[in-house]
Amino acid sequence: MMSIIQVKGGSGKVGVDRTLFVGARIPHEIQAMVKPLTKLDKSVFTKILRVIVASVVGPQPDSSSLRSLVSDKLTDDTVAVIFCGLEKLLRQAWKVSTSSLKKEHFLQDLQELQIPAEFHEDLVSCVFGSVRGKIDEQLENARPGLPTLDHLGWRVDVAISTGVLNRVLVRGVTMDMTLSDGSIKDFEMSVSRFQDLRFQVASVLSEMEKLEKRSILKIKD
Amino acid sequence: MAAMFAASASLKKAVALINELDINRFPLLLSKILQKLHVQEERTFSEEEEEKLQSAFSMSSSDLELVLQTLEFILQQAAYHTAKPAVLGDQLRQLDLHEDKVNKIVEAWTAGARDLVQKLRERTVHPNQLEDVQWRLNLQVAQSTQTKMKLTNAFFQFGVRNEDTKKKENIRLEFTHEELYKFYNQLETIQKQLDSLS
Repeated sequence: MMSIIQVKGGSGKVGVDRTLFVGARIPHEIQAMVKPLTKLDKSVFTKILRVIVASVVGPQPDSSSLRSLVSDKLTDDTVAVIFCGLEKLLRQAWKVSTSSLKKEHFLQDLQELQIPAEFHEDLVSCVFGSVRGKIDEQLENARPGLPTLDHLGWRVDVAISTGVLNRVLVRGVTMDMTLSDGSIKDFEMSVSRFQDLRFQVASVLSEMEKLEKRSILKIKD
Repeated sequence: MAAMFAASASLKKAVALINELDINRFPLLLSKILQKLHVQEERTFSEEEEEKLQSAFSMSSSDLELVLQTLEFILQQAAYHTAKPAVLGDQLRQLDLHEDKVNKIVEAWTAGARDLVQKLRERTVHPNQLEDVQWRLNLQVAQSTQTKMKLTNAFFQFGVRNEDTKKKENIRLEFTHEELYKFYNQLETIQKQLDSLS
């Protein structure tokens, strides 16, 4: 999508024919961190980046990871401002696929946003480097949705005899499903119901494959 | 074949009462009992109906009770053993039931046995039964953290009926392509087991 916007900022450039990856209006979190960034140590910057990445791919950082960066040169307010700004910047970059947002454009935008050049390399590796695969996976898994099937336990049995019938000889399938929300659902089904279930699942799989083949052609980046 | 019926005192009394019953009304009584035999926890006859039967057969309520229970018991035992009509007839004669009553019982059993046994075979102990399977296939294109996606997604709804509460629970799950494929492989394994048992 192309749109003509006026890029606001100290550089005063006008009429860039592409929206910045952060959006048409620069988020206030990013604007707020520009000044503090100019005085920031590279080592502290790298540490903050690590905390942001860890909050997505794990292990979950705790409050001490940022507090340890506070010093006489760096107040906790400033750390907070920089953390929020960088997190916003990275999340906007992660939101778009790497085929949509090219590295050169990313770097151009970083310049427009007045991010000091010494920090560009680290930011690029967060967005385009090897960690991106894990980040995409985590973001996808965290999407809202119905519970998924964590574990399926099953049993096939033959009822030989019951209290009311001496010779039954009927096969049945019993399942217990452990879902991602922690609940356990157990139920039984006749053989014909099981065949139906199997048929439905196979149908959906085949429909999925057809859909995937089709959509790759239509939805272009 | 072992005797289906032990000739206890109450059974002997019941036989005497049954022998006295009006033969014209007997077949109807039997078919009604047969119809309701597979249903648990439900009375075959309502209180009203029992009162009518009492007057129709000129019996006290306790005698009627015994007659109905015994007829139910006879048919239940026939079902349990999936008895051949001839065998049932012989066993009933041994109890000193009159020939006309024996014939009516065997007739009713011959007519209704197949349905009844089928219904009893379907009776299970597990309270939850899978009743139906519904699904929906989606293509997710975006979410709050990612744009321009192409994620195929299937929603499944398993309708499970609880035999005790009669309520139906809809279990809803979602699957990605990979997850569904894994589920399908598990179903294939189950199928193999079923095949080896048939």
